[in-house]
Amino acid sequence: MQTPNLDLVPGVFTGINVIEMGSGAAGPVATRYLAEQGATVVRIESSKRPDFLRVLWLTPDSEHGLEGSPMFAMLNPGKHSVAFDLKQPRGIALAKRLVEWADVLCENFAPGPMERFGMSWPALREINPRLVMASGCLFGQTGPHRTYPGFGAQGSALSGFNHLTGWPDRASTGPSGTITDSLAPRYVALAIVGALIERERTGRGQYIDLAQVETAVYSTSDVMLRYFANGEVVTRDGNRSPHASPHGAFPCAGTDRWIAIACRSEEEWAALRGAMGDPDWSMGPKFLSLDGRKANEDELERRLGTWTSNFAPHALMETLQAAGVPAGAVQDFEALQYDPQLAIRQHFQLREHPALGPLQLEHAGFRLSDSPPDYAAAGPMLGAHTSWVLRDLLGLTEDEIASLDADDVLV
Amino acid sequence: MLQGIRVLDLTDESGFLAGKALGDMGADVIKLEPPTGDPARRAPYLGDIEDPERSLLWLAMNTSKRGITLDLEQARGAALFGELVTSADVVIETTRPGALDERGIGWEAFHAAHPQLVWCSITPFGLTGPYAAYAANDLICVAMGGNQQVTGWHDRAPIACSMPTAYYHGGPEAALGVAMALFARQSTGRGQRVDVSLQETQLQTSLSGPAQYALDPSRNAERRRPGDRMGHSREIWKTADGYVSYGLRGGPSRIPNLMALTEWMAECDELPDWLRDYDWSGYNHNLLDREGFRPFEEAFGAFFEKRTMRELYANAVERRFFLAPCNDAREIAEHVQLRSRDFFTTVEYDWLDVALEHPRGFAHASEDGIQVRRRAPRIGEHDGEIYGELGIEDERLASLRREGVVRDADA
Repeated sequence: MQTPNLDLVPGVFTGINVIEMGSGAAGPVATRYLAEQGATVVRIESSKRPDFLRVLWLTPDSEHGLEGSPMFAMLNPGKHSVAFDLKQPRGIALAKRLVEWADVLCENFAPGPMERFGMSWPALREINPRLVMASGCLFGQTGPHRTYPGFGAQGSALSGFNHLTGWPDRASTGPSGTITDSLAPRYVALAIVGALIERERTGRGQYIDLAQVETAVYSTSDVMLRYFANGEVVTRDGNRSPHASPHGAFPCAGTDRWIAIACRSEEEWAALRGAMGDPDWSMGPKFLSLDGRKANEDELERRLGTWTSNFAPHALMETLQAAGVPAGAVQDFEALQYDPQLAIRQHFQLREHPALGPLQLEHAGFRLSDSPPDYAAAGPMLGAHTSWVLRDLLGLTEDEIASLDADDVLV
Repeated sequence: MLQGIRVLDLTDESGFLAGKALGDMGADVIKLEPPTGDPARRAPYLGDIEDPERSLLWLAMNTSKRGITLDLEQARGAALFGELVTSADVVIETTRPGALDERGIGWEAFHAAHPQLVWCSITPFGLTGPYAAYAANDLICVAMGGNQQVTGWHDRAPIACSMPTAYYHGGPEAALGVAMALFARQSTGRGQRVDVSLQETQLQTSLSGPAQYALDPSRNAERRRPGDRMGHSREIWKTADGYVSYGLRGGPSRIPNLMALTEWMAECDELPDWLRDYDWSGYNHNLLDREGFRPFEEAFGAFFEKRTMRELYANAVERRFFLAPCNDAREIAEHVQLRSRDFFTTVEYDWLDVALEHPRGFAHASEDGIQVRRRAPRIGEHDGEIYGELGIEDERLASLRREGVVRDADA
């Protein structure tokens, strides 16, 4: 068992102690926001029931086993890992002792395990009345579908994002990825920080019951209001917008290269025409107003695409932006690696992972002027900090630790 | 959670959600708009009656805010803004980087004299860097943030969601940055600047994909074959009346769900013989290529196509397999799980004599609620009340109204 010294970075949450139980993205990305700002985040894990991100890409040939998942290491940087077998009462007892140390406990199990562990909110608030506990499963802690075992792909479907993304003449598609896994963590973290602010005033912690699906539907409050007010069912329409035209992705020179262009006003459309050299087709009456461009959008897009396909996306972006046209290269992952804007914001931070070598870690989408984000390390090896937590945080003696070890509690 | 915190909200639609989330958490959020009304008070309208007071985008995204009018373009308006800032804890704004500072009414002007102020700027690319001055809307941010290239179909242009997902991520991201700055202020007494990049918020939607590219360039972004969303297997399936999401991804924790589906197929006498005899203990989605998935896809696809979304989902909930319907707004509005959690709340529109349902809030909190606290403001609804709180006498307010700095309802 390794016994590293605890690596911490200074930040907004220096001195705030966080327990993480759960897996995947919705919970762990929420506590990543806290970790990059100095919180001490301890994940309670077990090799008997590993985080599914540790095993999702595992094959019999995988070199590093449970430590070989880049996605796990990238979604959990700056955190610490203890291995407690929560199937054993002594493992649960250790977790509960850690609750005394914690300011925050964040979990995203489907309802059930926390109650089985005797670690539901009523029990934990008895142990630590200042605790902020956040539960962030797919559908929340109450209701007939509470135990429905969902992941982000289901969240994206249930919350309407699949229906809202795609071509009108084709199937639901959904944004790439699992959008509830990127929307929900922001709200989990927001609720936790709100509860910490309130605790300063009241002296009490509180319980947050967050449903990932609800955070996504809340985000689309306008879609829901359009239904409740007018009975309108908003549907997918490719890249088009009722308020702007042209509004889409247009082909560029090269294979599968594209530029996004959005003209929200007559001024921006005039600027785009000017950048194209005011070609005759663009000057005709049918493109002179938004209504005209919407009515003739197939032709507009075809003609514009013919022009854009002469250029490389980034060069064309610079030309159009200089002319005052909202335009952006449709960037792939490679382009993001070399994006000068992300570089200046230091979006990626390089840290060495014991098994995987140097890893790019990603920061939040905001910067605090007095408190830049930082990760002390990539995501932890399973159980890497067990000894440190038992000895230094919980004050166990070597004999007690040896006894736990002998009974396979620390696995 | 945020009682006693006053927020000035100068955002356009790219940032409405930030102030809404803070307001739903109990902050006193004051939405500023021009005396002529906010440009985002646009269609669609309640009852399709064109009226800025009936804009459903406005009504949905500005709940829990009071509203005042102020013409920042006029010198007296700018001066009045300065007075408002001294009464505020937080400013959230979406102006072009540097625009307010150039006029002496930005962060630079206020933070020295008002060091406890938290100032949040939500911009497409952040406040500094080569793209900081670029014009962009949601589409451009999604394109530049890497999600568009991977969304859609391989035989057509990349697409973005038909609703603004960069704004949907940026709102809570900004609210989270503000909450962190407020938490830090409780111990330091100092506010700070929160610099949100909508582009950067989009990287998280790829769940570490951009960072993994550095580790393995074969992981670059590509759009999927019809119906795919992840890996090489089908994710979106046609049903008798719409679409469902179901993944063939495995890993030990997910195999029981695949088996639960095949058990149901067997009960219906629709399980092919080869699948009845299949040894699931050896199943690993990482070892299957497109051809390897095909027999599974044909068997499940034929089964799904004969059934409705409702029937499939009801069985998924009961039998615990990971299938979800691609819901639209109507299906979300009627969803039994959301209804049982009172996810929708009714908001009265007194002057229109209607009541409309809205998503209630992004989470349940056990102490003070997170919920819609008041309907969105009418144009200038709280001018008298809020300027009165500032100590502005009636005579001065009348003069500001005559000059058009504040809306003159009688003009």
